Formats: sequence, structure tokens, C-alpha cells
Amino acid sequence: MNSLILVIVVPFLSAIALALLNGRQRLERALNAASCLGLTAFVFWLLHVVDTRGIQVSMIGGYAAPYGISFVADRLACIMLCLSMTVATVVSFYTLFTVAPIQQRHFFYPLFQVLLLGVNWSFITGDLFNLFVSYEVMLIGSYGSMMVGASRQQVRQTMMYVAVNLVGGALFVVGLGLVYALLGTLNMADAARITAELSGTRAAMVTAASMILLLVFALKAAAFPLFFWLPDSYPVVPPGVNGYFAGLLTKVGVYSLLRVFVMVFRQEGHALAADVLLVASGFTMLLGVLGAFCQWEIRRILSWHIISQVGYMIMGIGLAADPALAPAAVAATIFYVVHHIIVKSGLFLVGGVAEQISGSRNLKEMGGGLAAAPLVAGLFLVAALSLAGMPPFSGFLSKLVLLRVGLAGGNFAIVAVAVVTSFVTLLSMLKIWSYAFWGRAHRAHRAPAATRWRGMAASASVLVIGTIALGLYAQPFLRLARDAATELTDPSAYVAAVLGRPARVAYAGPTVAAAPSALHEGARGRLLVR
Amino acid sequence: MEVPLAAAIALLFGGAAYSILRPNLLRIVIGFGLLSNAVNLLMILCGGFRLQNTAPFVSDPNAVAGLMDPIPPDIILTAIVISFAVGALFLTICYVVYRDYGTDDPEALPAYESDEPVIPPHREQKLTFEE
Repeated sequence: MNSLILVIVVPFLSAIALALLNGRQRLERALNAASCLGLTAFVFWLLHVVDTRGIQVSMIGGYAAPYGISFVADRLACIMLCLSMTVATVVSFYTLFTVAPIQQRHFFYPLFQVLLLGVNWSFITGDLFNLFVSYEVMLIGSYGSMMVGASRQQVRQTMMYVAVNLVGGALFVVGLGLVYALLGTLNMADAARITAELSGTRAAMVTAASMILLLVFALKAAAFPLFFWLPDSYPVVPPGVNGYFAGLLTKVGVYSLLRVFVMVFRQEGHALAADVLLVASGFTMLLGVLGAFCQWEIRRILSWHIISQVGYMIMGIGLAADPALAPAAVAATIFYVVHHIIVKSGLFLVGGVAEQISGSRNLKEMGGGLAAAPLVAGLFLVAALSLAGMPPFSGFLSKLVLLRVGLAGGNFAIVAVAVVTSFVTLLSMLKIWSYAFWGRAHRAHRAPAATRWRGMAASASVLVIGTIALGLYAQPFLRLARDAATELTDPSAYVAAVLGRPARVAYAGPTVAAAPSALHEGARGRLLVR
Repeated sequence: MEVPLAAAIALLFGGAAYSILRPNLLRIVIGFGLLSNAVNLLMILCGGFRLQNTAPFVSDPNAVAGLMDPIPPDIILTAIVISFAVGALFLTICYVVYRDYGTDDPEALPAYESDEPVIPPHREQKLTFEE
């Protein structure tokens, strides 16, 4: 199905068109919103197609699988694409009210589309090297988005963010090189097929190489001890786009962990990675939530909570090491990711509204939000309670599913940490609530433009309604997560869909298989395996 | 060829790590340059590089032995483009930080402050445009 490529072509063309239209504000805003809306409709249709008719594959240029680059839409990829585009659409309406003309002049919307391009690309690709390229595209979009407006603070924090990610990118290529040397392929389906049959020294070497990739994805996901870059850099992201950053960017790391360790290296790397991730998840949850506790700014508190929430997701990946529990654990992780993206983006957007109403970013100078805008206070309360895991919202269900898997596997320590973290999260949300919404207005505030924050709140409410709906009407989503998890833990359908396709372009040269001696060590090993 | 290449990679990685850890923005930028070269050389080695190997389809279209694997150079080419672009961006950012704060020591930069204005006045004037 060649239309798969639309998920990256549409943001790409939009970015170019928006860059050319720079300066014509209304046209730019309309085009951005239209492009996001259209692509959202497409990815939901794609999810429906994949759910009813099975995995869709598109080979770029028509070259057959391990040689060409494959784009693969399975259920997990489609779920992530739907989340990405939903949040992007909400953000593009939200930014109608937040983006200053000067920021828009600084290529705000083209950079946002580049960000979307990279994120969508990383979900749809079926090739490890392509994943690296999509990471870099996403990061370039995020560097630009972070610096829009170019205040001293923004440039200074972006410098740190770029430096951290440059190291991450270099390590990614190192990991890819080692994996290629050992397997002779970077196609995910091909690698999954080969690693399933490895044994002995080669299997151990694949485990070692995969640990470098684990480091890269953990850095992107902001897992302990690699989370230090996040709490200082996310607060400088312009309002609106920070909802997309919070929801999607670290989750690309979680998605890559799921895709690469649960599916591709499920025989070799996953056992060791799971042990590491399980320990790391406990520290990630606890340190994230404790870090949030001593902050005095909504967006900084929420940034620390991203870290703590990532802990829950990688805990799910860690629990998946037990083969009997793997489908349930992965399903719980996927459901948690769905819940988290909706709630966290929603909280960032509602937090932005609260800042707009009070005219301050510091909690000590806020207050009186409940009297000024009861509806906004309600939106915040729902999202905050959902984040902490109170019923009947989606946070409760996603934590319940995850903790049940933990108890079934006998991992009582990590379950205890998760429950404690949930309570401290609640305390921290109550801190924002009592300082920002209760009490009286702290000082003579700049009177905010009412149309502005009303529009912002209306856009953000879509995501808050999403978390209520996900909590009350969870069965179809849980079913989808379970099916996606089954596809991931038993990739035979994925491998068959990618590798079983006939080539459209005939290969007329000498066949590689005829002369194993022509190939380097890695590819020769691969032929032996075959 | 593997041992000298491996030694060069080790040297480059070591130099990169040393430079990146120096408290000097310019040295950090240079360190990243070294790092990307180290990674690219490693990629060549991972592709099973041998001096006597030739490019496929060029010298003898029917040859099946003694060919260079074309995938790693392909990957390196992409990685070079990406690291060049991001390196240029990083150098620019470092220059702006130096201009704004008057120091090239990252440890001397102030920590995150919540009350700093989003668009500082001196910059706002320069960027004014007709609305």
C-alpha cells in the first residue's frame, strides 16, 4: 500500500509550503491546521484498515524487502501515528491563540511540521537505519521549535539539548554498525527473523551490540540515569508546542524500545535489557516524582513528571521478559503510552492556560484560578487526577493493568515503588491545584485577553475529554492494545508481511547467495544462518 | 587493515571524549567533529573493509568476489550529511550563547531561571517587523 508514505510526505510538503508562505500569517495558520486535520483523518482510516485487514507494507522504490527500505504499518505504529496527529491537531488549534507574530515570523509552523515529519517517520519505518535518520529529522525540528523567539534562556538550554542528542546520535550509528556487522541487515523484519535463530557467541555479541541501542533509546526516553537533560530544556519550549514535546518526543524513545527490544532482539537483547530497564524504571519513577516535588513552576513540575511517567512504561517493557507475561505486559505498556500521551499533552496545554490567566509562570505568584476560570480549573483537575491514577479516568485503568502484570510476575518491589510514585504524583498535582487555582489572585495581574485563554482552553479540552473517554470506554482500546502486543511479541505476521512480498524491480546482477566468499564477515554469518 | 583502523578509531573516540568534556564551547564543537569521524570510520570497519576489495559493478560487472559492501558507505554518507548540518547548527548556537553571556565556559553559564523574559528587550528591537 503506497499511501503509507503520505504520513511523511504531507508534513514535508507542508513544511516547505509554510516556509515559503512565511509572513502571511493567516494563510500559514490555516494551511498548518488543514494539513494536520487531513493527516489525522488519514491515520485513523489507516488504523481501521490495519485492524481489519492486517499489516500494510510499502517498499520504497519497489525494491524487495531486506534490500529496499520498508515502511510498515502494524497496529502499534498506527496507534502511535493516531496519537501523534491527534495531539498535533490540538496543538495547531491551540497555537492560533498563543503564538506571537514575531515567533511565527521565526518559522514556527514550518519547524513544527518538520517535528511531525520526524516523529511520524520514526513510527512508520521498518528499517533501523531509517529510524536513525527519522530521529535526526525529529531532533532538528525540535531544536528549531525550542529556539523560536531566541531568548537567551532558550538558546542556552537548546545548546545543552543539542549536545546531549549529538552524543546520542553518534552512539546510535555505532550501535547500527555493530548490528550490521553481526546480522548483515538493518531491516527490522529481517533482523527479527535472523536473531530468532542465533545461538552461541554470535548471539552474545548481538546482545552486546543491542545494549548500545538500549542506551540511545533510554537517553531519548529520559530513563534513569539519562534524564538530566529534560527538566531544564522542556520549560523553554514555546507554549502549545510544548504539549507536543511532552506527549510525543520521549515516547518515541519508548516506542523504539518496544519495537527494537520486544520485537527485533526478543531472543538476545531483551532478557538483559529487561533486567536493566526494570531496575532503571524504579529509579526513574521515584526520582522523577521527587524532582517534581521541589519545583515552583507548572511547566517544570510537569516536565519532571514526564520522567516519572516514563518509568511506568519502561517497567512494562521490563516485565515483558517473562515469556508467559510478555503479551499482557506489552499490552499494558501500549495502553499506558496511549493514556500518557493524551493526559500529559493535555496537562501541558491546560497549564499554559493557567499561566496565561494569571500572567505568571511561578506558582508563588499565581492563585485565584478557580474564581477566574472555573472551567479551566475543572479541566486541570480531571487531567491531574488522571495522571495520578484516580478512577474513573484513564490513569487508573492503565496503572491497574500494569500493576496486575507486575503482581502476576511476582515483582512486588517494583509494584510498591509504582504505587508510592502514584501517591506522590497526587501530592504534587495538589500543590499546583492549591497554589494556582485556590486562594486569591496574588497581585495586580495583567488583564489577559479573554478570547485568548478561552480559545486555548477549548482546544486543550479535547485531550481532557479524551482521558475521560479512555477511562470510561476502555474495552475497545484495551482490545486494540492486546492485539498490537500480540503482533509485537510474535512477529511472524510482521516478518511475513515484509519479507514475503515479491520484488517489483527485477534484480539482474549476480546473486549474492551464489558467492558467500564475496561477503564480509557479518553477511557471511547471515548466510550460514539462512 | 583492521588493527590500524581500529587504533585510529580508538584515538578519535578518545580525543572526542576529551574535547567534549573540556569546559570550552569551541572545544566541544571540535569534539563532536572528531566523534562523528570516529563513528564513520567504525562504520567502514563494520562493513568488512579490506584494501584489495573493489566497488561492485564498476571494475567487472560479473565479479562476485572481492567486492566492497556498498551499504556501510551509503550509511556513512547520510551520517556525514546529518552530522555536518547539526554541527553547523551547534556551532551557531554556541556562538549565540557566547555573544549573549559573554563567556565560552559552559560551567559559568547561569542555571535555569523562571523569571527571565521570553524575548529580551535588546533582541526585540532588532527583530521588529511591520505587522
